[in-house]
Amino acid sequence: MICRPVEWRTRLALGVLSVVLLGFGYTWLAQRQHANNPDDRTIPTWSQLGEGVMKTVRPHPISGEVWLASDAAATFGRLGLGLLAGVVLGVTLGLGMGCFGPIEALCLPTVAAIAKVPPTAMLAVFFVLVGTQTEFYVAMIAFGVTPILAQTLYRAARDDVPDELLQKAATLGASTFELVWNVVFKQVLPRLIEVVRLQIGPAMVFLIAAEYAAADQGFGYRLRIEARKVNFDVVYFYLALLAASGFLFDFALTSLRRWWCPWFEK
Amino acid sequence: MSYATAESVSMTTAGVDPVLELDGVGHWFGRNRVLRGIDLHIARGQIVALVGPSGCGKSTLLRAILGTDPPKAGQVRMNGVAVDRPGRDRGIVYQRYGLYPFMTARENVAFGLMLDQTSLPQRLLRFYPWSRQRKRHLELADAWLRDVGLSAAADRYPHELSGGMRQRVAFAAAKVMKPELLLLDEPFGALDEATREDLQQMLLTRYAENVAAVAGGQPAPHTILIVTHELNEAIFVADRVVGLSQYWNWRESGYDDCPGATIVYDQPAPVFTPGSERPTDAFFKQRSEIRRVVFDTTARTNPADYVSFWPHWAGQATPPTFGGSVLGAASAAQRGSGVDDE
Repeated sequence: MICRPVEWRTRLALGVLSVVLLGFGYTWLAQRQHANNPDDRTIPTWSQLGEGVMKTVRPHPISGEVWLASDAAATFGRLGLGLLAGVVLGVTLGLGMGCFGPIEALCLPTVAAIAKVPPTAMLAVFFVLVGTQTEFYVAMIAFGVTPILAQTLYRAARDDVPDELLQKAATLGASTFELVWNVVFKQVLPRLIEVVRLQIGPAMVFLIAAEYAAADQGFGYRLRIEARKVNFDVVYFYLALLAASGFLFDFALTSLRRWWCPWFEK
Repeated sequence: MSYATAESVSMTTAGVDPVLELDGVGHWFGRNRVLRGIDLHIARGQIVALVGPSGCGKSTLLRAILGTDPPKAGQVRMNGVAVDRPGRDRGIVYQRYGLYPFMTARENVAFGLMLDQTSLPQRLLRFYPWSRQRKRHLELADAWLRDVGLSAAADRYPHELSGGMRQRVAFAAAKVMKPELLLLDEPFGALDEATREDLQQMLLTRYAENVAAVAGGQPAPHTILIVTHELNEAIFVADRVVGLSQYWNWRESGYDDCPGATIVYDQPAPVFTPGSERPTDAFFKQRSEIRRVVFDTTARTNPADYVSFWPHWAGQATPPTFGGSVLGAASAAQRGSGVDDE
């Protein structure tokens, strides 16, 4: 069995089977729970889940707010800005450290030390330093992803770019900036996309934790409020949405890598 | 086929057009002495093979010429100008091809033109002139790929090409810049025998182009220094073989430890015309001599005994042993006559 490839039909059938089993398991669990307690809301039935979904997509009777729209806009806006800040800082630091000795000597110890601090432990610090507006969430995400991105790109710039390619570009007349942009950056680009893809999960963790603690909109905030009210119909729907968005980001970044770096898919 | 055997005659480099000059070049890393007293002059149009045992400093010497690691003693000059950094007058092809994996074959060849003729701000801010220029670069790259027989593979990435095809692209990418000197660092080391022979024929073609150009009164277009560990290849593709070795008679010069490798062998090699079969037996004598003088770990060669290329050449009124050589053509052109193939 070990190392024997699985045929794609078998793979597909097994994948579908796991989803079906999960659905059956959940249905059985919900029925059993409701047989004991018909008012249970911790494991809602499928019809209760449907009501939960409708609650999030219809305008709220008092505020008129559509929860899903406002929460998604808040969360994904913060995630996008945080990742953008993290990528810009991470690429600048990583390429700087990987290409220039003095920058490496100056920044590497600090970046390595910061990478060891759990970002969620910095909640209180950022809360005091930047308040609870968008900057707070952007800082949390950037603080979490920048050191990993910078360290990965630093290693990639040093290890993945053969000296021969740099020497050859130099003989062709490349300036220092052209060496960094036209050779090093192009070479490490697929690794950058890959590490961003892998950092979306941790970034979501930092963001949801921050929203859980301080937001008045967003997925983290809604999860906290609805869990406190034992509205698990909404909680499970939001969790499913977070999982789906994770798949979507994953797919988008993998496609982007295939499109921008077809040479990497060898 | 025409070829000639090496013979030693006393001469100097006067009267030729030197492209590369190394005078007293030495290099060391800490206490590790790598090179010492390297004197090497390469004339325009020559194809020179550099051979030597592992660890003798061939790559260090190549980097010194390339300018990425300038020597700590002596001087490297290109066309009389001291070399202290890489420049477009020197192109390089590596054993592992040195192709940019994120560019197609065509883009790899056009890369040097882009770097040489435009700057990043120009490319970003003057988009339309740049796009027109880019089109010209790509057309030129296509022409060079055609020249090395790879027009059909222009849009393929390096990982989609065979080893021989990659090396041809690397060769085209280096030649598109028209470097004064092309450095080949064990270029065929990773190739199978058939592909290797195919590319060796390509070098013979370049040499024939040199001879024809010089015979027609034009400067030779290709000057090549090829580092190789394969002696048959060195003798076959080059018109001159240079041996670098740490096994020389340094004790007799008063040293307790080896002060670095130096040139212990510099002799003409037979000149072949393109399409020639490799008559291995024919250069058995020279191969044995190189092995004994350059590679034998017990050898204590006196460099003066075998470094006699220029003494052999200079002052020679007629070059009877260099029937098809570029220097022979130069000499014949100076005399106002053509060169006969022997």
